Amino acid sequence: MDLNHPLLASAVDLLPPFPSSHPQIQRLDRSLYCQICKELFSGPVSIPCGHSFCSRCIRGSLEVMKKCPSCNEPASEGSIRRNRALEEIVDSWEEARPIIHGLTSNNSRKRSIMNTGPKNAFAAESTKRPRKESTSRSVSPVKQSSDKKEEIDGDADDMIALDPYTNMAESSEDVKASCPLCDITMPIRDISRHIDLGCQPIKPRPKSQGRENLKADWKKVFSGAGLVKGKDVELKKITKPNYSLATPAELRSVLQSYNLSTFGDKPALAHRVQEWILLYNSNLDTSHPKSLGALRAKLNEAEASRRRDKEKGREEMASELKTSDGLARYAQDTKGEFERLRREIMERDKKRVGSGAEAPIEIE
Amino acid sequence: MALRLSTKRLMKELKDIQEKGTPAGIIPLSTESVDEWVFLICVLGDETIYKGEQFALRLIFSDRYPIDCPQVTFIADDQYQPPLHPHVYSNGHICASIFGNEWSPVLTAVSICITMQSMLASNKKKERYV
Repeated sequence: MDLNHPLLASAVDLLPPFPSSHPQIQRLDRSLYCQICKELFSGPVSIPCGHSFCSRCIRGSLEVMKKCPSCNEPASEGSIRRNRALEEIVDSWEEARPIIHGLTSNNSRKRSIMNTGPKNAFAAESTKRPRKESTSRSVSPVKQSSDKKEEIDGDADDMIALDPYTNMAESSEDVKASCPLCDITMPIRDISRHIDLGCQPIKPRPKSQGRENLKADWKKVFSGAGLVKGKDVELKKITKPNYSLATPAELRSVLQSYNLSTFGDKPALAHRVQEWILLYNSNLDTSHPKSLGALRAKLNEAEASRRRDKEKGREEMASELKTSDGLARYAQDTKGEFERLRREIMERDKKRVGSGAEAPIEIE
Repeated sequence: MALRLSTKRLMKELKDIQEKGTPAGIIPLSTESVDEWVFLICVLGDETIYKGEQFALRLIFSDRYPIDCPQVTFIADDQYQPPLHPHVYSNGHICASIFGNEWSPVLTAVSICITMQSMLASNKKKERYV
């Protein structure tokens, strides 16, 4: 087998695997992959048996068979539930993965940078973010001040030791400490609110939160403005039509309402509606939904590539059989099979003739 | 161009084979085309009735893979013969539930090969119905 497959080059977006020297991390990584597409979960959902898949993967699979792909337990599309915890884990793992990958793959490099002292480490850190191994024992000062993302700090409890160099430079407002309950590092001023909320991650407060803002917020609460969800209509899942009963006109009107092409016969229309509903509904199961325009482009791209493949296959076959060379090759390729079948039939016929000849004698 | 789901998934499997290799007795033979792979399968151990034999398993993937099952047959030509097995026809077609209603999208090319290997390994009698 050609292991340097030309198509492998096009698969550059594949994530680098972890070295086998870290089986625990390999296992953690593996557990965050969808078993259907074998990629990190995108819009993960769970079904009644407890198995989780990408929304799009399991919806596609349940269309073909109404059971869990992993354990064969019955499942239906209606029982799909979003798995928000898993989505959060995958999101933070995606961010942390390159950092941890760096940590596991070049330990020797880590040691050499550690020896150069904290100041140099800081310099290396600020230029190249993924090289986290240099200051793994201290929270990066860059990260502290600019992007306050608790999940990064939170997933490594060895990060609570603050670097004394960076602390001095900061204003008192930005001083961080770890929560006494869950050990997540965050700005001190956020800790009491964090505990009040049951140790939920706190979003950084807007800088200019003055009295006016508070007033406006209260006004919103009293007038009930906060309860109105304007986008509720758009967030509904599309109900599937009955493809065998629906008329082409009905299918066209569904497609039209989403600005999609209404070209083609009924099977083509039904297929397009089906694929669109799959894309649309699974897009509602993620915290990072794509725009309808992007979904439309995806649908068109899939359709175009399928058409290309079909034409290409037909052309190849036709041009192959057109030339006498190709015909000869085709005959050569299938000759063995043909000969074997011919022989078998001959033998079978011979046997039948033989037994046929004996039978009347026995009766007589 | 965005890769199709099936192609992406196959590339992933191929990469996996590159990095981790295949289980004993299963040798990837050709993956010249993305959607048609051939594996050599031998049954290991002394107790098998297929000792020393090699079979070529061809997998053809549709663009609905892994939702749809790939087409799996043993190659029957001058070089390779399908195994003598009650569930394998002389033209190489295989009668197995995982290629019908027991197919699941979590299965992979390698897991199909393992299934075929164990199907052969558990057979005690060389016979063929069709």
